[in-house]
Amino acid sequence: MAAVAAAISIGGRPSWVMRTARTLLVTGAIAVLAWLLVLPLLAIFAEAFRQGAAFYLDAIRQPDTIAAVRLTLTVAGIAVPLNLVFGLAAAWSMTHFDFRGKALLGALIDLPFSISPVVAGMMLILVYGKEGWLGRWLEPHGVQVIFALPGLVLATVLVTLPFVARELIPLMQAQGSDQEEAALTLGAGGWQIFFRVTLPRVRWALLYGVLLCNARAMGEFGAVYVVSGHLRGVTNTLPLQVDQLYQENFSAAFAVASLLALLTVLTLGIKRLMEWRHGDDLNH
Amino acid sequence: MGIEISRIRRQFGAFVALDDVSLTIADGEFVAVLGPSGSGKTSLLRILAGLDQPDAGSVHRDGQDLLKLDARRRGVGLVFQHYALFPHMTVTQNVAFGLRVRPWRTRPKASVIKANVEALLQRVELEGLAHRYPSQLSGGQRQRVALARALAIEPRLLLLDEPFGALDAQVRVNLRNWLREFHRSLGITTLFVTHDQDEALEMADRVVVMNRGRIEQIGAPEQIYRQPATPFASRFIARGQSLPGKVKAQHLHLFGRAWPLEDFSLDNVHDVSVHVRPEDIVLASRQGEGLKAHVLNLRHVAGTVRASLRLEGLDEPLEAEWSERDWARHGGIADDTIDVHFHALAIFGVDREGHVRQRVTLHPSHVNSPVAVGPWRRIEA
Repeated sequence: MAAVAAAISIGGRPSWVMRTARTLLVTGAIAVLAWLLVLPLLAIFAEAFRQGAAFYLDAIRQPDTIAAVRLTLTVAGIAVPLNLVFGLAAAWSMTHFDFRGKALLGALIDLPFSISPVVAGMMLILVYGKEGWLGRWLEPHGVQVIFALPGLVLATVLVTLPFVARELIPLMQAQGSDQEEAALTLGAGGWQIFFRVTLPRVRWALLYGVLLCNARAMGEFGAVYVVSGHLRGVTNTLPLQVDQLYQENFSAAFAVASLLALLTVLTLGIKRLMEWRHGDDLNH
Repeated sequence: MGIEISRIRRQFGAFVALDDVSLTIADGEFVAVLGPSGSGKTSLLRILAGLDQPDAGSVHRDGQDLLKLDARRRGVGLVFQHYALFPHMTVTQNVAFGLRVRPWRTRPKASVIKANVEALLQRVELEGLAHRYPSQLSGGQRQRVALARALAIEPRLLLLDEPFGALDAQVRVNLRNWLREFHRSLGITTLFVTHDQDEALEMADRVVVMNRGRIEQIGAPEQIYRQPATPFASRFIARGQSLPGKVKAQHLHLFGRAWPLEDFSLDNVHDVSVHVRPEDIVLASRQGEGLKAHVLNLRHVAGTVRASLRLEGLDEPLEAEWSERDWARHGGIADDTIDVHFHALAIFGVDREGHVRQRVTLHPSHVNSPVAVGPWRRIEA
């Protein structure tokens, strides 16, 4: 592969076979993306506005929809900071300490990537549901997890767990701990080292991880679907609201869907902007 | 008083990084710890800095137990091999770091910090670069920033990890002299580790030679070069080369000849090493005298002539070094062979544990009556 790449980029004027191959590959990639991603995304907005702007505004101004937006933002607003703290702690311990079970921790961080969100939701029901291991204790004491906000947050945290940690671990590994040690010998304490040395060095990667985490947290469907109970205006997040509307009011569903898509596109836009401005800091 | 390191041991799994290391450093001394990679020198540095703890042993400074102080409170300035500057801070911010992170009761006023940093940057000759970021500096400049940053906390001990390791050759030689002078003007106790013999011998007041976690020799540079205490120190520092010599019945047997060796006892000696330095292989004044050597190649380097010689009965070629003047006086070579003498041989008797029991320097040409017939005569230098 490296040899091929070198032949293409360095070896003077590439042969026409190379040029054709390059053109074909690039066009192919763009075509696939346009067909699978851009077109459907545009279709959502087209469908949302088909019955006019007035209808669109009406659809997204429904109290249930507003409640869903509020709930989605609340859940993401709790889940993302939790994952930020967890991600930082996990990445720090994975890269700065040697301990038993380090490999296991690494595998566990990746688990939510490989496990189906529906299964993740089921696991939460088993533990926190009415008859669950912990739910049996919690519910008589007035703590409702499943079919309520705590359950939604738990499900979202679980599904988006790896995003921040996975973004930080390779970077922190590459950076080593020389600078932290230097700060220590200069008399800095643990928090000073963290806020003045470690955090500034990983800030862009951290923000990047948080954005990815946020995009996923707002769009999460599977695990949240299982634990939410679909109480309209109470435990329906945006994706669930879209799903319910889709069964009843086709166009309204697309209006709300476009709102969700907009949030995600916005996140990705910020992400692109960051990659463009701070690409160097993200890669090493 | 200075620093007393006593019987330090550090082990990583089965690997012994430091084995019973003891060393005393006087106040204001400039000490080099010299050894190949894996010899334990960096482990020693990290223990002194408080970044690692030994498994056994003690470190005292003026009677105070240093190991009980954590790295933060130890007052040790450490300059990392790759400097470990903070890339998101300017030169000024890097140097001020150690003062800014102090608890507010002991933290100097901002104006004092500013004045201190300016004075330090002046000392390391970087006044004009105060607002640059580390990525905008050359290797030599970065190293001086790291030095200024370490000095800002007014350490009582300065540790340098391979201070010139990451620099190119030209800068390296210039900085050597600069650092030597800098230490002299500062007078701060300094310990630096290096794997470069020239660096250690040229800069340090005292050199500590380390190998496999043990100290092989401590001494002044010229002393170590002249009288290496162990076969390792001889090879590593004095460029000693092994010769197939044997000691039997109070005589050294080498290349079919024998010389009396009176002060050498074979008690407890398991292994005998005979070493010769390149400059102690001297040219015989007349052909047919001395040992016949086949010249594999000749190089003329900076006023010296270096040759690889093959001697009969020796698998490895021997490296010899003469001045251009001697070489010219000798008159070159005929049919690729020359005749050589050994001016001095170092003979080590080593016991089963690897400790040196006997050490003798023999001047073969000085010995009056070689037992075997041989036209070995003293060569006037």
